[in-house]
Amino acid sequence: MKEHDKVRELLTLSAAGTLDSSEQQMVERHLAECAECARELEGWNALAGGLRRLPTPRPSAALVERTRTLMVKHLAAEAERRWDLGLLVFAVLFAWTLTLAGWPIARLLTSGAAAWLDMSFRQAWLGYAAYTAVGWVSAGVAAVILGLRHRTSRRMA
Amino acid sequence: MMWEVPVGLENEAARLRRGDPAAFEALLERYQNRLYRYLLRMVREPATAEDLFQQTWLRVAEKIRSYNPQRSFEAWLFSVARNLAIDHLRRYKPESLDEPLATGETRADQLVGAGPTALEGVIVRERSSRLAATLGELPVIYREVLSLRFEEEMKLEEIAEVLGTPLSTVKTRLRRSLEQLRRRLEARGSASEWQV
Repeated sequence: MKEHDKVRELLTLSAAGTLDSSEQQMVERHLAECAECARELEGWNALAGGLRRLPTPRPSAALVERTRTLMVKHLAAEAERRWDLGLLVFAVLFAWTLTLAGWPIARLLTSGAAAWLDMSFRQAWLGYAAYTAVGWVSAGVAAVILGLRHRTSRRMA
Repeated sequence: MMWEVPVGLENEAARLRRGDPAAFEALLERYQNRLYRYLLRMVREPATAEDLFQQTWLRVAEKIRSYNPQRSFEAWLFSVARNLAIDHLRRYKPESLDEPLATGETRADQLVGAGPTALEGVIVRERSSRLAATLGELPVIYREVLSLRFEEEMKLEEIAEVLGTPLSTVKTRLRRSLEQLRRRLEARGSASEWQV
């Protein structure tokens, strides 16, 4: 392809300011010798200038305000959802901690009393079951509280 | 591709990831005009552009955790808006993505009685109005690339990221869109206005 034809193809992108430096140099070299291409580029530059100067349609103040309100509500709901999720995770971890560590700790702390009450290892399952129940009831209560809270907030929204 | 992200913008995007409403305020303030203009160029109807404007910000809030801070927030924001606009165009105008809109009338009556300076202003506005109308007649793939380059002043790499297409495709579309715009202006007899 002749340089003239090649440059001709690059003129639109030159007007758009998107040529790399080597292409731009080639265009400029050619323009210094070719009045036809120089005129052509002036036309593209004028069109590009017109596009850059097009009036900017702006969103109405009411739209911006509506969007702001919508987003603030959405972000608040999202923050609450994250807090609720954190609370739920905490409750579950708390329940499992009680389940796994409760009985050994109780045995350790109340070894004297356990001996006085004549609690043998055979009765361990009772204590273990009791602590498990406490843990899971706690988690259940937390879940109910969260559910009620969520329902109230949705009703108010 | 990685971008140099302005520090303020990086902070705002990071703060929005943490759910900070003030960060959203700052981003809305910064991008409201540009985003609305881009959506209006895409869908051409103010009511639809307004709806998509709200949807875009909601989608940004929902998806902000998937945004990679190493990338350009601007390109990400515009790609979110673009996806919503394209979905809308496919859903509601499946047969007419490339269909031209009716062009606006001239406002010749405004020329009457205008002084020299005011007259120049009116002529400039008329030319811009005709150019905007002709731009609106182009297929959406050409309208968007022209808007992103000349109005949003995005680099080719950023445009490629917004469109999700290779750089070579962006260059081809940019060239063809300018050529088609010029041809349409010539067909209207308006091309001479853009000649020096």
